Amino acid sequence: MIEEGRNAEEARYRALLELDVSSPGAREELVAGLHDESWRVRRAAAEGLTRLPEREAVVERLVSVLGERDETGARNAAAESLAAMGEQAVGPLVRLLVHADPDQRKFAADILGQLGRLEAEDALVRAMVEDGDLNVRVAAAEALGRMGGRVAARALERILHDPEPLLQLSALESLAALRHPPPLPEVVRLLANPTLKRSAYRVLGLIPQLAATELVCRGLGSESRSTREAALVALGTQALLSESTQRSEMDAAVRLALRRLPRAGEWVAAALLSEDGELRAGALVAAAALREPRLAPLVAEVAQEERLMPEVVRTLSYFGPEAGRELLASMDRFSFPAREVAGQALVEMVDATYVPELVQMLEWGELDLKMVAVQALGRTRSLDAVEPLARLLSQSELCALAARALVSLAASFPARVLQVLEDALTHGAEPAVLNALVRVGGTGMLPLVRRTAREASVPLRATAVEVLAVVDPAGGLEMARLALADEATRVRVAAVRVLGQLGDASMAGLLKRALGDEALEVQLAALDAVGECGAVERAAELEALVQHPDGAIAFRAVQSLARLGALRDEVLRRAVTHGDHEVVKAALLAGAVSAEGVSLAVELLGHPSWDVRAAAARVLGDSGGPACLPATRAALEAEMDSLARRALEDAVDRLSGR
Amino acid sequence: MPFDTGKPEMSVEEFRLLRDFVYGHCGILVRDDMKFVMQRRLWPRLEVLGLTDFSSYYRYLRFDAQRRAELETAIEALTTHETYFFREPRQLKAFSEEVLPRLERRNARTKRLRIWSAGCSSGEEAYTVAMLLKDSGRFDGWDVEVHGTDISRRVLAVARQGEYGPSALRATAPDKIARYFDHVGPTRVRVRDDIRAWVSFGHQNLQDPEAGLLVSRMDAVFCRNVMIYFDTPARQRVLRHIYDKMVPGGYLLLGHSENLINLSADFELVHLRSDLVYRKPELGGGLAP
Repeated sequence: MIEEGRNAEEARYRALLELDVSSPGAREELVAGLHDESWRVRRAAAEGLTRLPEREAVVERLVSVLGERDETGARNAAAESLAAMGEQAVGPLVRLLVHADPDQRKFAADILGQLGRLEAEDALVRAMVEDGDLNVRVAAAEALGRMGGRVAARALERILHDPEPLLQLSALESLAALRHPPPLPEVVRLLANPTLKRSAYRVLGLIPQLAATELVCRGLGSESRSTREAALVALGTQALLSESTQRSEMDAAVRLALRRLPRAGEWVAAALLSEDGELRAGALVAAAALREPRLAPLVAEVAQEERLMPEVVRTLSYFGPEAGRELLASMDRFSFPAREVAGQALVEMVDATYVPELVQMLEWGELDLKMVAVQALGRTRSLDAVEPLARLLSQSELCALAARALVSLAASFPARVLQVLEDALTHGAEPAVLNALVRVGGTGMLPLVRRTAREASVPLRATAVEVLAVVDPAGGLEMARLALADEATRVRVAAVRVLGQLGDASMAGLLKRALGDEALEVQLAALDAVGECGAVERAAELEALVQHPDGAIAFRAVQSLARLGALRDEVLRRAVTHGDHEVVKAALLAGAVSAEGVSLAVELLGHPSWDVRAAAARVLGDSGGPACLPATRAALEAEMDSLARRALEDAVDRLSGR
Repeated sequence: MPFDTGKPEMSVEEFRLLRDFVYGHCGILVRDDMKFVMQRRLWPRLEVLGLTDFSSYYRYLRFDAQRRAELETAIEALTTHETYFFREPRQLKAFSEEVLPRLERRNARTKRLRIWSAGCSSGEEAYTVAMLLKDSGRFDGWDVEVHGTDISRRVLAVARQGEYGPSALRATAPDKIARYFDHVGPTRVRVRDDIRAWVSFGHQNLQDPEAGLLVSRMDAVFCRNVMIYFDTPARQRVLRHIYDKMVPGGYLLLGHSENLINLSADFELVHLRSDLVYRKPELGGGLAP
């Protein structure tokens, strides 16, 4: 396009975007835009028409554009606009379904399909069954596949007996789209038809029954590649729909079928590399049945399609240790998602013979690969894994993971692991090392922990305070009192946590100081600790905080009051007005056993947040009486959210049984 | 034997709360069929933080003193960073052979070129673009900047380091490896300094309009396989943001499976010999509201 033309196009586009839709003449200006030579201008016009007032008139005008036979661009743009009009377009389009011109009837069916509104279901069924034009019938069948109603599904099943193959094909595809398979014998009949076979397998996959799996397995043995692939696709769908109990039967049938096929490994490998996601899904099921180690890297790469990740993980879990070695050899060439699943599989399959390769893997640059190697080394139960892991204790990114891996190895070699951990600590290691040391060495480490708690770096001091409390509660409590005066926030937080975990109501005085600490982190920890150690004396301070604008503070205040058993009705009522829905839910939960709580739950059935409504329903289900039933039923009738509905249904059931 | 025994399951309610929270923060939409993936990617976080279930993790993200840092970690875990050098060669050919000559002509007077790699992950795309500029021989002596941005600080650290292994090089021809990388280990390479000199990196949440202030006007924007993470309104916001940051006549390159149908008509489609790209029209003016 020459520059001048492009500028003119941009000017027309901008003019339509900026058009005042309430101005007289706007409608015709936009209709003219539907006829523009530029798709961008047509798109802007179509979008503009959806914003016009007097939608009824606009819809009629758009329908009239559909009748302009030589204006393909304008008709498509009008169709696009009508598809965005919602329910107001349904009536005029249903009327258009009986227009004399089949071309317009087809347009009407297509747009109704895009609108997907059940009001049009009967009219589309009529068009599919009775229209004299095959294209219109096919368009209606396709539209019904987007509609989702039972009437549509039944009508589509009947059409499978129509003599017209194109219509049968559309019906099959629509049934597949609706995920509504016809009865198995119907599908068996269609599997024999070469034109319909692929689609018939698609719907066969929707039947998670052993009989259907056996039919699919027959397809796997076909000489024809397209049939084999169609069967694999069906297998993938079946696997996704099957319950775990059905799954083992299904796997057994597939395994039996594939054992009889000498080149199965080859074509399963090819299917795993395919561009077709549905085919890859089926290939995973077949690979799980074959369990050929060389397939493992190909299986891992399927994880690039995240939707298939559960099946990839499941498939790899069937492979044995040889597959782990195959994965190990491919790790540095894998895509990111493949590494993710292969890493876990490798960790699960690892044994002592993997150590040399894993140690080599520690030299690779990518952090995620190193992390896999560290985890795997921890599971090798090999003394040879201790030294390489010990070397990582000085690397901040890997230290915590390496320390954890060493703790695992300590089950086999406690003395050696203890020694390397102690060495690392003397060389200024991270807190994770101290943690690991105490887990491995127990009370024998107390002198070292005490010394660390007094002298070391801030992170180590903080960890020492908490770790000491685990192995020596009395000493830990004493250390925590002292640590409350530490100049480092992190150490004070650790001290407050210990007071909460080990202390009792006598800690109230100390916690008052912590509640007033200059650092938010310490205040938050103190709010938790008050509830944990039962410092009832502090309840009044907590009550003042239940409406604090910071949800983190209000949430903890409510939780701690509940733990103290000191959440008064008046305070509870204040708490449920908080703007943060988590605070409201915490209050609801805290008040669940009281009459006031139940009464609040009834009120909160109308809360704007779905999760609060669901929580209120659960409270009523647990604690409500028959008096709550009418309100709960009414809420259920009005509820649009699926999860809140589920909670309400459960509440109604439980309340009805009382 | 299943791998994940003994780990906490994520309930549908926990999934929805976590998903909505992440979406509210950065517009990244975790689809309903991604519950399994979300669960798996967040399991390590539960382990590290000593939490026993996903409700506790959600509350940690909402209310803990370390919540900001943890949210970044969670987002890093949830977004895959799959990228490699010279990915989608057909588009890169179109960029090299048809877009770059046009940009050279347009900017001949200023001798200044700005290219943005939005959602650059660990930097392979940004460096690839710089290598293509160098290969073309058109921009020596120019003021060139290829700016990579990403929401994950961890991948940006990798990008700045510029060291890569075999996975990142799986689509790179040996002659290019020889020309643009130094070997730093048996299988590892480092991007050479003359390429690195043209490339910079920065942290950016594409949903945050303020963050756009950090990016100057761009002659071309690569935004490949980024919008897959967003829903339609979020995609439209990102596109508006990109539009605002582009010079009139600037080019937008999306991933091979992405297009602007039903998202935006602000960009015009340009049919090049080897690929289709989008362009911000020449006529000036901001976007209509």
